[in-house]
Amino acid sequence: MRRYSLVILLAIAIFAALPYVLPTYYLSLTTKILIFVLFAMSLDLLIGYTGLASLGHAAFFGFGGYVVGLLVVRGQVSEWIALPAGVALATALGALFAVLALRARGSYFLMITLALAQVVWGIAFGWRTLTGGDDGLPGVKRPTFIVSLADENSFYYFVLLMVGLSALALVAIVRSPFGHALRGIRESETRMLALGFNVWRHQFAAFVISAAFAGLAGCLFVYNTRFVSPDVLHVVRSAEVLIMVILGGVGTLLGPAIGAAVIILLEDFVSSLTQRWLLILGIVYVVTTLFAPRGLVGLYRDYFSRNRKR
Amino acid sequence: MVISAATILGRSISRRVVASTLVCAAPLALVSSVSLAQQAPPLKIGVILPLSGNFTPAGEDALTGLRIYFDQINNEVAGRKIQLIVEDEQGRPDVALTKARKLVEGDKVQILTGFVSSAVALAVNDYAREKKIPMVVSADGGANELTTPGPLSNPYLVRTSQNGRTPSAAAAEFVFKQGWRKVAAITSDYAGGFDTIGGFAQAFCKLGGSITQEQYPPLTTNDYGPYVTNIKRDADAVVTFLPGANGLKFANQFIELGVKDKMPLMDIFGQIAYEPYLTQLGANGVGIYSVLHYTPMIKTPENERFVKEYVARAKRLPSDNGPDAWVGAKAIAEAAKAVGGKVEDTEKFLAAFKALKFDSPKGPIAFDKFGQVIHSMYIRKVEKVGNDYVNTPIQTFNNVDQFWPFSLEEFESYKYRYVDLKGSMTDCKKVLEKK
Amino acid sequence: MIWVIHTLNGISFGILLFLLAAGLSLIYGLMKILNLTHGSYYLVGAYIGSTVIATTGSFILALIIAPIVVAALGAVMERFFLRQFHLDELPQTLLTFGFLFIFADLSLWIWGGDPIMLPKPALFSRSIDIGGLGYPTYRLLLIGVGLLVALILWWFQERTRVGAMLRAGVDDAEIARAMGIDVSLLFTLVFAVGALLAALGGVLGGPIIGAGPGTDFDVMLLAFVVVIVGGLGSLRGALVGGLVVGLLDNFGKIFFPEFALFTIFVPMAVILSFRPTGLFGRA
Repeated sequence: MRRYSLVILLAIAIFAALPYVLPTYYLSLTTKILIFVLFAMSLDLLIGYTGLASLGHAAFFGFGGYVVGLLVVRGQVSEWIALPAGVALATALGALFAVLALRARGSYFLMITLALAQVVWGIAFGWRTLTGGDDGLPGVKRPTFIVSLADENSFYYFVLLMVGLSALALVAIVRSPFGHALRGIRESETRMLALGFNVWRHQFAAFVISAAFAGLAGCLFVYNTRFVSPDVLHVVRSAEVLIMVILGGVGTLLGPAIGAAVIILLEDFVSSLTQRWLLILGIVYVVTTLFAPRGLVGLYRDYFSRNRKR
Repeated sequence: MVISAATILGRSISRRVVASTLVCAAPLALVSSVSLAQQAPPLKIGVILPLSGNFTPAGEDALTGLRIYFDQINNEVAGRKIQLIVEDEQGRPDVALTKARKLVEGDKVQILTGFVSSAVALAVNDYAREKKIPMVVSADGGANELTTPGPLSNPYLVRTSQNGRTPSAAAAEFVFKQGWRKVAAITSDYAGGFDTIGGFAQAFCKLGGSITQEQYPPLTTNDYGPYVTNIKRDADAVVTFLPGANGLKFANQFIELGVKDKMPLMDIFGQIAYEPYLTQLGANGVGIYSVLHYTPMIKTPENERFVKEYVARAKRLPSDNGPDAWVGAKAIAEAAKAVGGKVEDTEKFLAAFKALKFDSPKGPIAFDKFGQVIHSMYIRKVEKVGNDYVNTPIQTFNNVDQFWPFSLEEFESYKYRYVDLKGSMTDCKKVLEKK
Repeated sequence: MIWVIHTLNGISFGILLFLLAAGLSLIYGLMKILNLTHGSYYLVGAYIGSTVIATTGSFILALIIAPIVVAALGAVMERFFLRQFHLDELPQTLLTFGFLFIFADLSLWIWGGDPIMLPKPALFSRSIDIGGLGYPTYRLLLIGVGLLVALILWWFQERTRVGAMLRAGVDDAEIARAMGIDVSLLFTLVFAVGALLAALGGVLGGPIIGAGPGTDFDVMLLAFVVVIVGGLGSLRGALVGGLVVGLLDNFGKIFFPEFALFTIFVPMAVILSFRPTGLFGRA
């Protein structure tokens, strides 16, 4: 345990020092990575711990973002209301989707979440007078929470704080009795039913919590880009975050965080180097699957457990 | 030189120190560029274009046009080497913004250019305005709001490509002159679609014609059968704006269902009469009318030289993005020359940019005070020349500014924005209602 | 009369959807793989078909060559990559997503980014008269070929030895293996047939929905919707699902043009809310 707290302290020190070390561009890239780390971890709660693979998670991410964007740009609403409202409404949307989607399992669950997310995307795309349609909604001002977060440094610290607190909350959730029950459901629903657990209620709660954190990530994302367009709700984004989770290693929280960082850095660096970055990304996915079918964290664990056995 | 050294050191020394070095270094560098022209720091231009995903051809066309001009002047202007840094925005606004930050803060470019999609241009617009970086939109990013007075207008933005509404106005003039008074409109259901058909409705109603049917297929439509079947056959002509693959899919159904033999087709922006599609449509495409601010068939020395060079590089005829980007490149270079290479003086550079006048492959070029290009509109008709199917220009409108055929005052006196007219374009009274 | 045309439009689009979805459903039925590369088979099939037509001028040759090449690609994917992750959903997802990227970028590299439409065979490039309105014969051909494919697949599944093995494999792969069926070969074969069907859809659908960057993703989504509505793993479901989705999409766009973006996904969400395993799916 002491080793862990040392690692955590070190991590906090490193992240806190970044604005003094990194050039501004890399700092803003780090901010983006942190936001996707949160997004990927929120989905991991659903996939890795509850066993429900969703292909519509961008719905909550994007909906939270749109709520913030619309309240700030169209409503001139204070950030003290806009940000909580974004998270709250994304959570509410999560509850609605959970009721509709939790009837299905496996591939059907994957597809119904996709279909519902497409409906939200369609509304954002089509309701042009409200959302600006595909042109998007420019001019989302950065918030002021006691201090102004307009510059890159303070916004970075704000995102770091939000993502850090959320990560702690997620870790606490998966370690709680509730988290253990979720894992039990993932392994066998029938057994947990027999043990007297209300399976549906657990899955519902996990879905809603997951949507809440995805919504928070979406709000931060829109504050970061100061722009929101239907792109944040697109199925490609849902697929992307799903791949982040799988690439990193499901059911570990740390894995999806690493997966998010790896994919964003890869996309950024490789696409600056060559026009054929999509090909390279595809090959990376295939090679990762072949050599690390449990994701990057799984690879690390396999390696160490093998060494220990020797 | 001093600047780049400071940037490299920036990783190890405190940021505040770097900033102050930069402030001192900038004027120093400018002074030295006068005396030691050879050692002047390069002019770095950040190019933001889609090089993967659906918009790839447009991005590649623009890049070819840009490179043709800079190669022509040996990548050097006013004693400064021109250094292009190309970034792929993948057709996604947030990626474009990340890339813009990389270019401006990481690579220290002095100018941003490119921009194929309106959403991408709008996403970067705010950032460029805040950083006071000249943003030269030289590809399809046609959102009207970028260069009209309003909350989105940006004094650091100039555009060498078309805005959404002018080709529509030219289309209206031509259609009305043919005696076609009632038209059926089919337009993709998105921002660019409303700008285009709204612009058409406004100009057409003013002339005395009317739209009798509006259809808005989504951009993701696969089967255009239902929309073509649904066209009211009592209209005099069909007017379309269907970007990307939509134009091609529509045209095939329009031909196959036999409607093309019965009704003339006016394709605003040449999305169906797009050069690579003409070879695919073959003889079936002959007779389609379109409006665009360019056609490779323009008979001027500037254009013939451009087309030859373009075909040599891209192995195909240019559409509008190539010449638009060429004009963007030339305007950047000419404006840089006018300020003696000191593009860092943004205000002067942009003032020089807006004062430019020159001949280009797409015709004579000038700019209005909002930074929007004033250029020509061509009515084109698909014809067979030799073994090729081409867009022959049949009528030209010169000196078309962004409000043409209205003045800014008249344009601003109308009550409804184009997007608000969706569903009531058929009602000329509403279209022309004043504030 | 216009309603006859609208109905024919819906049916022909539905039949095309069936061709796109049948392979996906077949593969899922036997191997439980949700193959994200399915749309890429369509795309590559359409592109190869266009190249064959451009060089030989023969649509028939395109209909033969493109599906065979793509079937070989599918067989390689199954044999050397997917094989080792049998019934392991997440690595399958990552792997097939990787191949989606690879095929998309290679296609962009080889065939360029401009969307293409395949030319129709000369015999079927005309329209016939239906109550004063023209109707393209190619769409009638599509309906005919689609129904023929459905018939062949049904015969293959119900009346042949391989079909019997396939049914045994779908019911329980372990027992099928114990009964001496070469399940390994069967997997590769079915995967290849699935890819073949998608490529066939690419050549046949090429003159109507074309091919270009992003078509792979669109087609994959459409195929998913069809098999989910019809029920995963059921050929009958793919046929009925295709027709239901095709007709709903067509009439939805006519009666509710404002909601054209939702004509595919809303019916799907509604159907799944009432029947969580689709119309003909098994839990």
